[in-house]
Amino acid sequence: MGAAPAPRDVTSYGMGLAAPLALFFLVFFVAPLLQLLWLSLHNDTAALHWGLGQYLHFLTDPFSLSVLGSTLLLGAEVTAVCLVLGFPIAWLYQRVGPKLQTIIILIVLLPLLTSVVVRTFAWIVILGRQGIINATLQSLGVIDTPLKLLYTQFGVVIALAQVQMPLMTLPLITALGRIDSNLDDASCSLGAGSWRTFFRIVLPLSLPGVIAGCTLTYAAAITAFITQSLIGGGQMLFMPMYLYQQASTLQNWPFASAISIIFLLAVLAVVSVFTTLGRLSRGYGGA
Amino acid sequence: MILNRRSLMTTALTLGAMKAFPGLSFAQARPLVFATFTGSWEEAHKAVLVPAFRKANADAAIVLDPMLSVDQIAKVNAAKANPPIDVMLHDPGPALVAIGQDLVEPYPVETSAYYKDLISEAQEPMGPAPFFQVVGLTYNPEAVKTPPTSWADLWKPEFKGRVGITNLNSTLGTGWLVEIAKMRGGSEANVDPGFKAIEELKPNLAAVAANPGALATLFQQGQIDISPGNFNAIQILKARGVPVEFVAPKEGAIAFKTTIHIVKNSPNRELAFKLIEGALTAEVQTTLMNPPYLIVPTNSKVTMGGEIARVLAKDTAELKQKFVFQDWKKINEQRSAWIERFNREIKI
Repeated sequence: MGAAPAPRDVTSYGMGLAAPLALFFLVFFVAPLLQLLWLSLHNDTAALHWGLGQYLHFLTDPFSLSVLGSTLLLGAEVTAVCLVLGFPIAWLYQRVGPKLQTIIILIVLLPLLTSVVVRTFAWIVILGRQGIINATLQSLGVIDTPLKLLYTQFGVVIALAQVQMPLMTLPLITALGRIDSNLDDASCSLGAGSWRTFFRIVLPLSLPGVIAGCTLTYAAAITAFITQSLIGGGQMLFMPMYLYQQASTLQNWPFASAISIIFLLAVLAVVSVFTTLGRLSRGYGGA
Repeated sequence: MILNRRSLMTTALTLGAMKAFPGLSFAQARPLVFATFTGSWEEAHKAVLVPAFRKANADAAIVLDPMLSVDQIAKVNAAKANPPIDVMLHDPGPALVAIGQDLVEPYPVETSAYYKDLISEAQEPMGPAPFFQVVGLTYNPEAVKTPPTSWADLWKPEFKGRVGITNLNSTLGTGWLVEIAKMRGGSEANVDPGFKAIEELKPNLAAVAANPGALATLFQQGQIDISPGNFNAIQILKARGVPVEFVAPKEGAIAFKTTIHIVKNSPNRELAFKLIEGALTAEVQTTLMNPPYLIVPTNSKVTMGGEIARVLAKDTAELKQKFVFQDWKKINEQRSAWIERFNREIKI
């Protein structure tokens, strides 16, 4: 009580506050993940014989690889659509008054406030044979027979893009907000046109936001079990459904575990590509 | 031991309380846990079976824990010695898995008062079937004017792009594949003819749904007009005003036994047995047969009525004649290979 305690180093923090969360992660994330890995290293469903059989089976099977490939491709398509549609919204947000900003942010956030299931069902109503799109096109006389939109790759991409759009738009809004608007003016006064300004100034400076948005959208799109299966149907197989089938219907847990681990690694690889790009862009932006 | 007034009083009160509330004497024990299915099953069991059980067993504590068959198996497997579930409900495929993994006890057939009342197909010694699920043809009466009569009608050219099926993840999808294989000379051991038939069905296929529930909603969206369908799923849609009708094909409607099992090492064996007994009674089955539940009974003493008598069977004799039961032991042997084949071959 007598001596004053030594002044605490303000740049370091005790780990105590992080401990509960760390413990939570350890028990509910790391431990199950290790169990998953352990299970995937068995050749039989009873998990008695060790071996790499499940991985070999997946990696030498053209069908399984094609499922992985189409899932990663789906993620790329959805991310591209979100980026192309989301960027203008974020750009607009930075250039309108506060009232419109509130409206834009509300519109962007609105999808997050409804459940994914509800949003996906709305897309079934929109894309269906007697859905809004087909009914409109038919009444306009553009088409005679209804287009097949539901249960197609196109349908899945469109629905997923809408469902995951906030994950792209929000980081973009933040990134664009950080750009000093004087830079635009400077660029213009130095003789650059609008497009040149956009490509040389705005886009490079917003790259951290683009990368963050792409990572989030990509990860969410490829793992979106509900939207993929409801809009894609039973014969368009993506990794989450493949996993579910093996684990749940067939009770083949070791193979399902191997699929999860492979899927996890594939996603990590894609995300690390994004992160590397992000690091490069930081250098670029600073140059 | 010194008996004073206070300790005597306490003992007397305790004994009295134990007499008045028998539940107290095993206060450490947990209530009976019944893992039913989610959705309409849960509603039906909560409204009919549970009250009947409580009435017959002095308000014994019971908890419904609705989950899929596969989750029930996983949960019990994770704690075999002290299972968190006492009574499981299973489709034929998972039932065999549970029995194969030694998770269920044989049903005490000798002490059961109602087991012998069940029609013979429902008498399963490892767990009787209190209900049947029935799969037949479902169609939209507004688009399909002449009601279909056979599975073969799905291949009619007039249904080009109007047919829906599910993949083999579901009991419905697998059972249907076996049935069309049988129609073309195959069997539970040989579904090649079935795969060939689906190949020929492709021009007519509008959708391969991920599960029976998704298939049902496709009627609502006008995406399909005809499909194999579950009798109960269709009744739910019908009640919501969707134009759908169910018809048993002349080859026979596919019947799945929904079996109910006592979990091995259950701490509530006796109550579990009593719950299952309740599910087998003619009273409970009659109530469940009536609207809004329309669950197909297995007790031969139940007099068929309503929608079930109209579209399925008027009595047990007709039921036996119109229902087709499949050999799921055989089906389970090759099911994973079929699912794999379906994944690869069926692309529309």
